[in-house]
Amino acid sequence: MPVTQKDLMIKPKDALLKGHFACAGCGSALAFRHAIGSVADKAVLVVPASCASVYQGSGKGVAFNVPTINTAFAASDAVASGISRALKKKGKDDLKVIVWGGDGSAADIGIATEIGACDRQENILHVMYSNNVYGNTGGQRSGDTMIGARTATTPKGNTTPRKMVPFIMMANNARYVATASAAFLEDFVEKFQKALSFEGFKFIQIDISCPPNWRAESAHSIKISRLGVQTGIWPLFEWDRETNTAILSRPGKKYGDKANRKPISDWTSLQGRFRGITDEELIALEKDTERQWNFLRKFM
Amino acid sequence: MVVKQETKSMTGNDAVSYAALFAKPDVIAAYPITPQTTIVENLSRFVDEGKLDAEFIIVESEHSALAACMGAAWSGVRTFTATSSQGLLYMAENVFWTGYGRLPIIMPVVNRCLAPGWNIWPDFQDSMAFRDAGWIQMYTKNNQEVFDTTLQAFKITESKDIALPSMPCLDGFVISHTTGQVDLPDPEDAFEFVGPYDDPVIELDVENPWAYGSMTGPDQYSKHRRDLMVAMERAKKKIVDVHKEFEERFGRSYGNGLVEPYGDDEADLTLVTLGTIGDEAHEAIDRLKAEGHNVNALRVRTFRPFPVEDIVEFAKKNHKLVVIDRAASFGHDGPLRIEVEAVLKRHNVDTSVSGKIMGLGGEDVPYSAIIDLVKKELKE
Repeated sequence: MPVTQKDLMIKPKDALLKGHFACAGCGSALAFRHAIGSVADKAVLVVPASCASVYQGSGKGVAFNVPTINTAFAASDAVASGISRALKKKGKDDLKVIVWGGDGSAADIGIATEIGACDRQENILHVMYSNNVYGNTGGQRSGDTMIGARTATTPKGNTTPRKMVPFIMMANNARYVATASAAFLEDFVEKFQKALSFEGFKFIQIDISCPPNWRAESAHSIKISRLGVQTGIWPLFEWDRETNTAILSRPGKKYGDKANRKPISDWTSLQGRFRGITDEELIALEKDTERQWNFLRKFM
Repeated sequence: MVVKQETKSMTGNDAVSYAALFAKPDVIAAYPITPQTTIVENLSRFVDEGKLDAEFIIVESEHSALAACMGAAWSGVRTFTATSSQGLLYMAENVFWTGYGRLPIIMPVVNRCLAPGWNIWPDFQDSMAFRDAGWIQMYTKNNQEVFDTTLQAFKITESKDIALPSMPCLDGFVISHTTGQVDLPDPEDAFEFVGPYDDPVIELDVENPWAYGSMTGPDQYSKHRRDLMVAMERAKKKIVDVHKEFEERFGRSYGNGLVEPYGDDEADLTLVTLGTIGDEAHEAIDRLKAEGHNVNALRVRTFRPFPVEDIVEFAKKNHKLVVIDRAASFGHDGPLRIEVEAVLKRHNVDTSVSGKIMGLGGEDVPYSAIIDLVKKELKE
């Protein structure tokens, strides 16, 4: 069922209460509110070390209005596996076990755990919200950092292409894989609910802006995410194991054609992390973007 | 009244597997490592054959084995895993997370030394590295005790007033792969002893959501750790009570459950041991006594919580303690000796203490070696 803007406003329950600790303009908290809110009476959350372990709030003032288990950095998908199996044993498998974590855990330290859960076809959904950086620890390079980004550990610019986790999950036989953007929440929530309708391991990577670590205006958070799609940096697609076909999503469809894309510099220029990016780096970033599209086209 | 039991011969790992089978865990997660492997092989067979109705999660690492058990424990079901050596080290952060998180998980550790070099034989270096992780640690002397201890562990760990994970420890190969005699109760009697896990320590609830492990300030954090210290203290009594209840039902006991003395109450020299060396010490003492030496022994069965009172009481009646350690705290001494000395000092007991580190990396510790040690110590 297509999710409309009106649907986003009607939530069975507010999943993110007042008093959370998210930074102004945090795309992850926004995505959380709408996605988790759409299944809040059924959701069980597993949160690895990540910004979400901070912005949920502290002590007795936790703002997540769903059962939330905080785990070690690399443990979330295994903990979620244990929960999912225990719920199955208890006949409570109508509950939705969701891992909500960043790119540090999903692309780097926790990737073996994640592939393990995927390999076992555990009935869980992993949502990787990606700001392409270790945000919580102050902005160090992660495996999902793109070429040219100045981070705390790549002050002269990152030189390596990003690790495309969705493709890794496709290769490992996930039930359903999708990408999304905080600028297109209807699309995200639709994919989120679709993923939850499947049995097995599902994976969604949502691109979210991180104003503090991207050294960007909070007010530009959504604009930057939208430009990420419009410049082709972030392809929006969904892939289903049954058809082994990737389908470009409505909001990002036309950017499959390079001719329709805005220049990548429109996107980089709004972010301090790309200040000083050289022409060579921009070309390398463009090339890497095209590499991802070419990979995706093999499934179209 | 003691229930009917059947005498069987089986390895220590088989004994662990039967204890787990009889306790009926809901979720088992496991990863192979020598010498633990046959435990999880047995359990996966029980599940496949329909003897055990459990979710069996074949994980990709020990880190995930314990993590999956943690997820299951948070969901309010009975959970079980087992590991050894490098595997225990690989799950390290989750071992602490489980202990400090008060999750009721049973995880036998088949003791094996640590690399390098590659060596699969026993010593206690692996589990000793986790003595501060908030787990109950009980070291066993033979196959029968492994079965009994694993069964008791469920009852201790899952008590709401305790809520501490348990690590029954068994010497790799010496127990795990050696066939010995085990008196096995009927599964129904064993399960009746453990009881169903129907009043969970913790349980996820979508109707009444709570967050677990969120950011915690120093006040609350330190309160949690102090609670853990108090729970460990309470666990001593619980271990004794459960051990007593077990004895009434099954007719077997190991001292009071915390320490097991052997021989006379008072002697010129007392051997203090852990694990199978404790069993070997019995033989040594029998032979030494036959030669006219006045010696006895105290096997520390429960290492965490540490049975301070029992050790002090025993030491007061004796003159010289000789502690045999099967692990080393490099830069200091054997961990058991360090703790025994500290306890006696704190309680102003002037019984002398000496000791020896033996059996590292599977080095054989026969009764003859123990006799040599005792004779040497008696001369000094």
